Amino acid sequence: MNIYAIAYKNLLRKKVRTALTAGGIALSAWVLATLLGFNKGYQEGLNRDIDNMGFQVLLTAKGCPYEAATLMLKGGTGLRYMPESVVKTVFQNPEVEKVTPMLMHGVFDPNKGENGAVAAYLGVDAVSFPPMKPYLEFKQGAWFKDNKALEAVLGYEAAELETREVGDKLLIPGIDREVTVVGVLKRSGTQDDGTIFLPITAVQKLFNREGLLTGLGIKVKKEADITALENRLYDLPDVQVVSMAQVKTTIMNLVNSARVIVMGIAGIALIIAMAGVINTILMSVMERYAEIGILKSMGAMPLDVFKMIWAETAILCGLGGAAGIGLAFVTARLSEAAVRYFLPYAPNGALVALDGDISGFAFGLILAGGLLSGLYPAWRAARVRPLEAIRIEGEQ
Amino acid sequence: MKKLIFFLLLAALPGAASAAVGCDLNDPDRDVARLFPGSTGYKTRYLSIKGSGGQLLLERVEKRLGDKFKGLYETMDVPYTLYDIYKGKEVIGYIHGVNQKGEYGGIQVFLALERGGTIKAFYIQKLTSRAAKDLRSKKFGTQFERLTLKDFERYSPGKPVSAPLKLEAPAKAGKDFQAVLRAVKKNLILMDEFVFSKKEK
Repeated sequence: MNIYAIAYKNLLRKKVRTALTAGGIALSAWVLATLLGFNKGYQEGLNRDIDNMGFQVLLTAKGCPYEAATLMLKGGTGLRYMPESVVKTVFQNPEVEKVTPMLMHGVFDPNKGENGAVAAYLGVDAVSFPPMKPYLEFKQGAWFKDNKALEAVLGYEAAELETREVGDKLLIPGIDREVTVVGVLKRSGTQDDGTIFLPITAVQKLFNREGLLTGLGIKVKKEADITALENRLYDLPDVQVVSMAQVKTTIMNLVNSARVIVMGIAGIALIIAMAGVINTILMSVMERYAEIGILKSMGAMPLDVFKMIWAETAILCGLGGAAGIGLAFVTARLSEAAVRYFLPYAPNGALVALDGDISGFAFGLILAGGLLSGLYPAWRAARVRPLEAIRIEGEQ
Repeated sequence: MKKLIFFLLLAALPGAASAAVGCDLNDPDRDVARLFPGSTGYKTRYLSIKGSGGQLLLERVEKRLGDKFKGLYETMDVPYTLYDIYKGKEVIGYIHGVNQKGEYGGIQVFLALERGGTIKAFYIQKLTSRAAKDLRSKKFGTQFERLTLKDFERYSPGKPVSAPLKLEAPAKAGKDFQAVLRAVKKNLILMDEFVFSKKEK
């Protein structure tokens, strides 16, 4: 019988105590793995959300609302325009990889609801916009090919609300013009779901805004200095720069502050579990004082006894750690739902991203912590003097 | 323990497919008070053909309607919002809306119904149409008051309105007038299936 088999059998002698200690370790492993998974998932999700925007910098006319929601809040008014020539000016910067011009227009529709509402249309460039939004997939149809065409692509929710399918007509209220639906997007979980996309030149013509833009999406080259570009863009007259990199940094700073506190809590949980391990193994050593004495009197060396007790710790931590990490995988979605409920902003996609690296790291940390905790009980056991141990047992 | 494991496994499964769009009042507090003056409150219920009878119910509704459910958005799992209107503890009526595909956009047709199923008020919440103003006018809406499902029994969607229905189509309404009639008949049939026929049983 090898040393691990003996250690395992020893643990089984006190099943409840072993189970409770392993449960404590499992909880620590669960907290650790979930938090590490959350850290990775949130970072990845945030990067994905920012990348999905297609552009890292958005240029708008000073004071112009750059989100559809803001436009709605302003009742479709308050739009400000930049001349189309800004595209050339921006392209002169070496950091710029691509740009995509946009023109938003809001029309008041008196037949939406009791008091009317704003219908917003986003004019986009048929060539440069689709590659900027690679995550947008079609439920039906495809993007328009011609910037002058009276055609529309509808976000999922916009299409649902208007019950539009490819080939249907859409009437633009106020100007009484029809456009043909050529594409319906799948749900993306972004504000694009509620957007009605039209070709940019068509929007300029339909709403008499020729040569004007409300926004310019800028995709920056990889490794380029975004801050340097942004500083130069700030110098352009009458434009405002909305930096997605800044948004990301701000959110990550907030998340990092929260993460330090949460990791602190995970650390405390780990320490408590380790204290439990020391307590359990030490108690087990004390209970088996005479038994260890007999083992030594039969020829077991101190190193053998040390290894046996240490193996008990390793088995306990190994089983508890594995169970905790398994639990983290099973409850990942529950944890995700809880995080989404409590956090004011959470990116799309999996928030708790568990993988082999995280599992391995968490398992290693738990095992290392456990083995560290097992050093003292194992050392105490190795130091047991056979005669003294047998005498004490005899006196009892 | 088995239940716990089942629950945990269920939670670990990927999210359900996107739900279909329903038809809710934009401002229920205001709209209920306007459609049912004297009411003291309302309760909201969410019903679907899938949850209330499934394929058999869908076939029955389609047969009674005289038309098939069509397209991406008229499916069995569409949630229907039903408002039970109260005066004190007593239910005095219902408000129920349906989405209907119109010529140029979605039409949301709401009916305020008395306890027996008679139309008390007709309301188009949202509409994109060249005849939108006329279809949402008081004159047009008043025509539906006091009508019941029985009045629509001989009407088939897409076909001309015949007796006993006497409904005047606004000029330029074209296909949207037909769409509104289909929505009203569908609304009444669903109310009959969800509420009135169940009450009789």
